[in-house]
Amino acid sequence: MVETPLLSVRGLTVAFETRRGAFDAVRAVSFDVQPGRVLGVVGESGSGKSVTAMALMRLLPNAARVEAGEVRFAGRDLASLTERQMQAVRGREIAMVFQDPMSSLNPILTVGHQLREPLVLQLGLSRTAAQARAEELLALVRIPSPGQIMRAYPHELSGGMRQRVMIAIALSCGPKLLIADEPTTALDVTTQAQVLDLLRDLQQRLHMAVLLITHDLGVIAAFADDVQVMYAGRIVERSPVAALFDRPGHPYTEGLLRSMPPLEDEDPDILPAIEGNVASPFAMPTGCAFHPRCPYAWDDCARILPPPAPLGAGHDAACLRHTTLAA
Amino acid sequence: MTSPATLVRADGLAKHYPITSGMIRKRVTGAVRAVDGVSFTIARGETLALVGESGCGKSTTGRLLMRLVEPTAGTVRFDNVELSELDAKQLRAARRRMQLIFQDPGSSFNPRMNVASLIAEPMRLAGVRAAERRDRVLELLPLVGLAAEHAGRYPHEFSGGQRQRIGIARALALRPDFVVCDEPVSALDVSVQAQVINLLTRLQREFGLTYLFISHDLRVVRHVADRVAVMYLGRIVEVADKATLYRAPQHPYTRALLSAVPAHRPGVIPVRTEAIGEIASPRAVPPGCRYHTRCPFAMPVCRTDDPALFDLGGGHRSACHLVRPAPSFADPTLR
Repeated sequence: MVETPLLSVRGLTVAFETRRGAFDAVRAVSFDVQPGRVLGVVGESGSGKSVTAMALMRLLPNAARVEAGEVRFAGRDLASLTERQMQAVRGREIAMVFQDPMSSLNPILTVGHQLREPLVLQLGLSRTAAQARAEELLALVRIPSPGQIMRAYPHELSGGMRQRVMIAIALSCGPKLLIADEPTTALDVTTQAQVLDLLRDLQQRLHMAVLLITHDLGVIAAFADDVQVMYAGRIVERSPVAALFDRPGHPYTEGLLRSMPPLEDEDPDILPAIEGNVASPFAMPTGCAFHPRCPYAWDDCARILPPPAPLGAGHDAACLRHTTLAA
Repeated sequence: MTSPATLVRADGLAKHYPITSGMIRKRVTGAVRAVDGVSFTIARGETLALVGESGCGKSTTGRLLMRLVEPTAGTVRFDNVELSELDAKQLRAARRRMQLIFQDPGSSFNPRMNVASLIAEPMRLAGVRAAERRDRVLELLPLVGLAAEHAGRYPHEFSGGQRQRIGIARALALRPDFVVCDEPVSALDVSVQAQVINLLTRLQREFGLTYLFISHDLRVVRHVADRVAVMYLGRIVEVADKATLYRAPQHPYTRALLSAVPAHRPGVIPVRTEAIGEIASPRAVPPGCRYHTRCPFAMPVCRTDDPALFDLGGGHRSACHLVRPAPSFADPTLR
């Protein structure tokens, strides 16, 4: 079944201008998010996963600029919208949840105020209707005694509660797409599990598309339908979630999966680590950016940028091993 | 009596921070019970992991062991000597044998010092001569996987993983016996964590180091630890050897922690032992069992009686009324 993608990104390239020089944080990235599906984006710091999300929302910092590419959401080219039109898209059609809710909540306004605001401004609800809807939203994110929490200030809430409030605000206008950037990273283990269970449940009930950005493969396994792995600004592998864990096609993905200490299986004496360090944006290796750390690399890998090679249904990896074997 | 194999012994260790109120005349109105009576031993060459969520007191416990924080109550014996009985000079000598590795070494480094001076700093403070310091730095660099040419560079030129290697070299400079590793890989990229864990394992074997490994990551702990102590609100609620703790956890909190770790395999429907709500505040520790407010199995007794760490045999102890061993008729309180 071919659906029209809700979000379609083509050839997105984002450049940063810093005192130490210029570099491309995101390089020719293309992907689609289908309605009602969860696309996980996994990568470590500097992989370009968060910059990609900021670029979609047109929220890049001043030092960054979209060099090339197109972002289409529900058939519209987001770059062609006025800032005012874009503001209507943000929050109403695309909502975001970040790692640290404290930095997105206003410390001097009550939770209730911050929940009602988008309902009044974006949806044009009356104050009373907004109040009732806000309480419903808090109940939806399983906050006990919503009435009491409405009167609280952000600092009076625990980290898990704040993240639930952020999710409630994000869902308030019924977005079609939720961008969740490390939504559980700042939370404690037991709270992380609760918030992840909540997000998955809400996504299914509201049939909402999610772009889930994380460094944690455990979060991907628990929540994503499809995954793309980013390394040094590029997508190096994309796959349905089960195939990625069963048959990783890129050496970087394989290394990430192998280096994780197991929780149940036999524990190796020495962990199979990925050697070397994450590529510096100022000294990006030629060819495949992963080649200096890759156990399979040969001389071609330093010269040729590998194209994505198909490995199965919806599964491809940008590694010369597959290209060469197929040829 | 402490067995000769024991290097570190904590008894009834506590740290309470006073809560004051009033602007002009400050009054003490309560206490944050960060650490509230913990006892354990660490054998020579062993790794004891201290796990728990933020605010449980695990980092404070590590600092109490090194006497970087003065305890409110309790004692620490290091190599059979009680630290509180030492004068300033003796304490400095004892501290050379205990070192700390931080979560984010970058933030603890002086950005104007190059790698060689950073690694040499603890030796300089301990009065080691310059020539000897230089030799030791050159010995340490390859040991932690850095190159000799890194010596003249500055911290900002390094990645997170390399900075942690500098932090480890610094901790090893004075040839310690005991190292407190406080979340040493939590701030690192996933692809680099395994390297640093392997390095810590190798150094432990090479130099017979004893580790207190503080972490919230139950996967990492399963890999590195010999024994595991689980902390909740300033107390150890369960302690056991690693195999027992992961195979047969007894405390409901340990079970909640373990079941909350996301599986690294899709399609696994989590069977969770729920922890209700979130961690209580160490400012207002619940009466009775401090976990009862979150425990799905709480009984009336849990609200009133603070459970001791009951001995379950084989070094496995758990502070839960549910797993309290059946009373024996030899128990004098039953006569």
